[in-house]
Amino acid sequence: MIALTMLALTGWLVVAQGEEKISFNQHVRPILAKHCFACHGFDEQAREGDLQLDDRAAAIDAGAIMPGAPEQSELIARVVTDDADSIMPPADSGDALTTQEIEILRRWIREGAGYQQHWAFHPSRRPSTSQAGANQSPHAIDWFVNERLKAAGLTANEPADRITQLRRVSLDLTGLPPTEKQIQAYLADDSEKAYERLVDELLASDAYGEHWARPWLDLARYADTKGYEKDRPRIIWRYRDWVIDALNQDMPFDQFTIEQLAGDLLADPTPDQILATAFHRNTMENDEGGTDDEEFRVAAVKDRVDTTIQVWMGLTMGCAKCHSHKYDPISQQDYYRLYAFFNQTEDADRQQPIVPTPTKQQQQQQQSLETELQTLQAELQRLPEGYTEAWQSWKKQFDDQPLWVALKGPQLESEQQLTLEQDAEGVLHVQQELPEKDTWSLTLALPADQEVTALRLETLPKPKSTKWQDPNVVINELQAELITPDGQSQRLKLVRPRADFSQRNWEVPKAIDGDPKTGWAFSPNAAKPHAAIFDFEKAIKPTAGSQLRLKIVQQYGIGLVLRDFKVSVSSYASDWLLAEIHPQANLKRLFQRTVYEPTIKLHQRIESTRKQITALNQSIPKTPIMRELPETRRRETKIHVRGNFLDRGDVVSGAIPSAFGTLPAEAPQNRLGVAQWLVSPKNPLTARVAVNRVWAQLFGIGLVETEEDFGTQGTLPSHPKLLDWLAVEFRDNGWSQKQLLKTIVLSDTYRQSAVTSAAKIAADPRNRLYSRGPRFRLSAEEVRDQALAVSGLLTERLGGPSVMPPQPDGVWKSTYSGEQWRNATDDNRYRRGLYTYKKRTSPYPAMLTFDAGSGEVCQIRRIRTNTPLQALVTLNDTVYLEAAGALAKHMQAAGETPREQIAHGFSRVLIRPAQAIELDRLLMVYEQFADLYKDQPEQAKRFLKSAGLEDGDPRLVAVANVLLNLDETLTKP
Amino acid sequence: MNLSQKLQRAQADTRRQFFAQAGLGLGAIALSSLLNQESQAAKPNWQIPAKAKNIIYLHMAGSPSQLELFDHKPTLSRLHNTECPKEYLEGKRFAFIRGVPKMLGSQAQFKQHGESGQWVSNHLPNLSKVIDDLCVIRTVHTEQFNHSPAQLFMHTGNSLLGYPAMGSWVTYGLGSENENLPGFVVLSSGGKTPSAGKSLWGSGFLPTVYQGVQCRTDGGDPILFLSNPDGMSRAGRRKTIDAIADLNRYQHQHIGDPETLTRIAQYELSFRMQMFVPEVMDIGKESKETLELYGAQPGYVSEAESAADPRRLYKGNDPTFANNCLLARRLVENGVRFVQLYDWGWDHHGSSPGESIDETLPIKCQQTERAIAGLITDLKQRGLFDETLIVWGGEFGRTPMMQNNVNKDLKKGFVGRDHHPHAFTMWMAGGGIRGGAYGQTDDIGYYIAENPVSVRDLQATILHQIGIDPHKFSFPYQGLQQRLIGPTEEGRVLKEILA
Repeated sequence: MIALTMLALTGWLVVAQGEEKISFNQHVRPILAKHCFACHGFDEQAREGDLQLDDRAAAIDAGAIMPGAPEQSELIARVVTDDADSIMPPADSGDALTTQEIEILRRWIREGAGYQQHWAFHPSRRPSTSQAGANQSPHAIDWFVNERLKAAGLTANEPADRITQLRRVSLDLTGLPPTEKQIQAYLADDSEKAYERLVDELLASDAYGEHWARPWLDLARYADTKGYEKDRPRIIWRYRDWVIDALNQDMPFDQFTIEQLAGDLLADPTPDQILATAFHRNTMENDEGGTDDEEFRVAAVKDRVDTTIQVWMGLTMGCAKCHSHKYDPISQQDYYRLYAFFNQTEDADRQQPIVPTPTKQQQQQQQSLETELQTLQAELQRLPEGYTEAWQSWKKQFDDQPLWVALKGPQLESEQQLTLEQDAEGVLHVQQELPEKDTWSLTLALPADQEVTALRLETLPKPKSTKWQDPNVVINELQAELITPDGQSQRLKLVRPRADFSQRNWEVPKAIDGDPKTGWAFSPNAAKPHAAIFDFEKAIKPTAGSQLRLKIVQQYGIGLVLRDFKVSVSSYASDWLLAEIHPQANLKRLFQRTVYEPTIKLHQRIESTRKQITALNQSIPKTPIMRELPETRRRETKIHVRGNFLDRGDVVSGAIPSAFGTLPAEAPQNRLGVAQWLVSPKNPLTARVAVNRVWAQLFGIGLVETEEDFGTQGTLPSHPKLLDWLAVEFRDNGWSQKQLLKTIVLSDTYRQSAVTSAAKIAADPRNRLYSRGPRFRLSAEEVRDQALAVSGLLTERLGGPSVMPPQPDGVWKSTYSGEQWRNATDDNRYRRGLYTYKKRTSPYPAMLTFDAGSGEVCQIRRIRTNTPLQALVTLNDTVYLEAAGALAKHMQAAGETPREQIAHGFSRVLIRPAQAIELDRLLMVYEQFADLYKDQPEQAKRFLKSAGLEDGDPRLVAVANVLLNLDETLTKP
Repeated sequence: MNLSQKLQRAQADTRRQFFAQAGLGLGAIALSSLLNQESQAAKPNWQIPAKAKNIIYLHMAGSPSQLELFDHKPTLSRLHNTECPKEYLEGKRFAFIRGVPKMLGSQAQFKQHGESGQWVSNHLPNLSKVIDDLCVIRTVHTEQFNHSPAQLFMHTGNSLLGYPAMGSWVTYGLGSENENLPGFVVLSSGGKTPSAGKSLWGSGFLPTVYQGVQCRTDGGDPILFLSNPDGMSRAGRRKTIDAIADLNRYQHQHIGDPETLTRIAQYELSFRMQMFVPEVMDIGKESKETLELYGAQPGYVSEAESAADPRRLYKGNDPTFANNCLLARRLVENGVRFVQLYDWGWDHHGSSPGESIDETLPIKCQQTERAIAGLITDLKQRGLFDETLIVWGGEFGRTPMMQNNVNKDLKKGFVGRDHHPHAFTMWMAGGGIRGGAYGQTDDIGYYIAENPVSVRDLQATILHQIGIDPHKFSFPYQGLQQRLIGPTEEGRVLKEILA
């Protein structure tokens, strides 16, 4: 027992002193989980000796535990025995219980061997705050924190000074240092409310959403490429912007959840709710040649299951893919039953389904163009006054002279000896079975005494042929000649070719380009009539007996030769001659568009509006989204034996993990049901997991350190009551993240100074008790954004496609992909780190060095490191040099003397004024560089150039480089 | 005293004054004590006696054909150009083969070499001379038959992205022997990074400090951001680092955060790396004989390294890989724990130019085999061979059938084989591995006949040789004690091939 008191671990000490009953969750479960559950736990496959220790009844039945009688309990006998054959855990496992652990088990059995449900699976209840009176602080967070500090013999620090609080809270809420305006306003107001007003302002800024989107995008495994070998680009930044927007609007977390997991299944979903489902389309796709789409579709669906449970419940289901969880109550069946819900979407390792996802601005443009179009069309419907009269009088002319006149009297010279007959309508019919190819000379009579301006060739669909499959026609070349009555021929040049339809790469101009290999054709629309029109370059004036001779080359082969067709000419002006199938029937259209001024204008405006709509629609990004398969195409889900997708076991239907009950009968039995259940009061985990994540962002470590694991293998919460209090607050305050943040950052715990001492470090090395303010290195994005902000370079623009700030040459060398990194030269060079293009197989190196992930899988937390490679980035990377250059410019302009200039730079970076001694030291560097560059103007110039400057003071650039590399700069104060 | 000296003295005074005012003693902090070495108070339960100190892993990305290099199959040659029997096709998934392909006899000539009498092809004339040092394992098999997942499986133990590389595991367990260099270095050649990209040397769920550091040999900084900007001299950098350190110490004195001290140390280390890394990376310091041994050429930057499609530029005399081999020796000599080489361009499908068994494979061999033989010879001469484990191989093997999706019949420059996961050759040497062949495939090299070796076995053996018990070595993540060799006990140390 004496040995036990050596244990300074919280809880254990209390146990050792015998003041408190043994707690199963706090004391016993960790021992059983560590040593026993792997073989005697929940996984029935792995279970040895038919003994299950995670279930009280089973353990008592098996004789392992006899409540009240440790010495009669087999469990104790087996862990203390000297017999190498029967000792547990087995001797060869290298694992053995310590005497302390054995003692705890003994006492637990003696006290009745009570079991408890795992702490995190209990619903959270608002803990009593009745001890408030004993505390000074008005803030509940501080009561819980102080309670534990007191027990450990520690006290919290005094509040940090005002400027430190300002910089800390600004970085925490927006990821940026405070702006000049915010600093001024805050410092000018020394009332109690100044800090709270500042917090409100920060929470209301756009930068808030940008900053808080970052950890969420880590969870969403957001990236701009698809991953694996080809790692091709994926346009999904609209989803990133959706997250920013949702956070800025403070969308309640339950809604935030439902829209991302199942927005498409909501009744009448908005485009934004559909866009939100891109959350689960961030899974990777494998475009490598020869890969099996089903294999990677399955991998993506599994990733969705794992990610969902990780993100919302802080549980790991990954291992249940292959076997039941050894520690948490999740069976393999549970896994595939949840999988069944996610196994019903259309996507299958391909880009589809994707939908247009216009930005707000594009939506507005769309709307205004549509409105304009409707207005114009309505105006056209109404028709201006006098229209009817004008139309009637104009139409008359066609009674005498039709728009097109079919030519008669065909004489055909065919290489294949074909002959033609003309019917009453003027249509020419080939009389024989079509040859493979042919070239014709077709002569037709021209109407006399009328100017002829254009030629029209009209083809009719061919009847089914037994010989030729393809109903298409290819006119390789068309030439025209005028034959005068005296038999003279005169070549007629054809211009302005146009057709109602042309096949791709077989456009109608190719029929008159002089190249017999090209031509006009109309697949895949050959089953319809088509027409082509050619103007004569000069109108012809035939006289009686004049003829038109056409050379029609049709040498494609496979019978693509004209069969039933018509040749007409017109006497009207070219712009009246539209390549339409029924020109006479469309006279009204002609009148409106080319003759009658008031409607011409309207039509032009309609046309231009349509063009704008088309252009806009083409520019709208298309985002991959989730879409449920129709009822008839639902997939059957079978268990994958040992996780192998080819080895199918029993069929399962959708359900939530059985340890958490079942979906209510009235709930939708699909993803939407899952999403609603995640945020329902029935779910004990979601709110805890969410507030813990927010806490970890602010304090560096979560109340539950293993943010990714709230299961029995995870760490216990350092402050269980505080965690529950926050969780209940969060849920009861409408799931508002802004409110939650405000609550936390207004606490004394958050606002205290970060100063520490050897004693505090010894007693609370990782600040798990909050005996001092949170102080840790800024995130990859913050390091970058801060440097850009304090140097005045930052481009503040919300959202848009991802950007490519400078990265060293040659970093991108991806297999078989022609993608290239092009350093931005416009203001996209200085966007926030959040917007940097993220290629999964080759992430932006400077960010990676500062622990940012690659977006390959859901990243619950970034493990902070402190490495020499980080120093090289902020010392030498282009962006930090350019920031130093820009900062130096501001310094130079801000003062007369180097000292003033440096003081200005210091406070720009760190917000606080420099102390004299710090200025002395910085001036010293300034002088050292003065000395270094004194005789080396060339080198000085090159250094300026490295910092992106044409001219300036290289000494100040060197000082700025120092300022941007200070520990204090890189750290949240 | 000239002006400059006066200035220096004045500065020295200022600095002294700074320390006096700040209440700091010069050099009060022993930097070395703060360095990032994992302090191993107690010997962890997974640590076992090590045979090797370092690992050099030579990965031929794309996967070389075992049937043209090490696995001699006369029967296959007899069946050349006949249709593949159905039993080899039914129920099988191939990346590219469709329908019934023809058998493809070896496109190389084999002879027995060395005292062990191992069969080696004419593409490997230099390697044949040191063949007795190699343990050629002809019976490796894998679970994956596409590049990216197979490479990930080989190096991270998982075919999906997001798991730590073998080099990360090793440096996480054992740390680095040289505090001026990263413990896990990656070198690449062949003009492209391997299919799975940088994820192959990512640290997955281990702290990022254990990720592989890619040292570049194509003319840029050997380590990204290593060079000072143009116009910033080493003397100038010294001054800035001193200033940063002094101000940080002052900060530390007021705040007391130990991370500040670590940061001071890391800046100092970065300064030393700036000097040390280029020195180690400079193979120009090697003797003529050594360069000749490898076929290395200091300063050579291959055109292929910046080409969109480097395969068209493959020529036999490209020394990039040779340079990397020599560098690998210099790195392990300087205490780098794990050196990973990737050479791209071994995916010989025969479907487009520059990727054939008959034309490209001999060129890739010429680019690499002399350097590998040189590396072995060099390590032996320096007494480093026994403590350095060398591993060679691809991510899978190649089919005994000809790939038929582009050309149905043999065509010069377009003879190819598809991916083959069922049996392929890798070899290990040095680091406590015996020489001689291991394992036997069937008559046509399709299946394993005896002594199968899984990727898990290889991983277990590699960890074992470096002094890590592969079964006990783990990291808690996602509710599991994650291990390189995976969650099950199927992987085993190949005791039969240990010296």
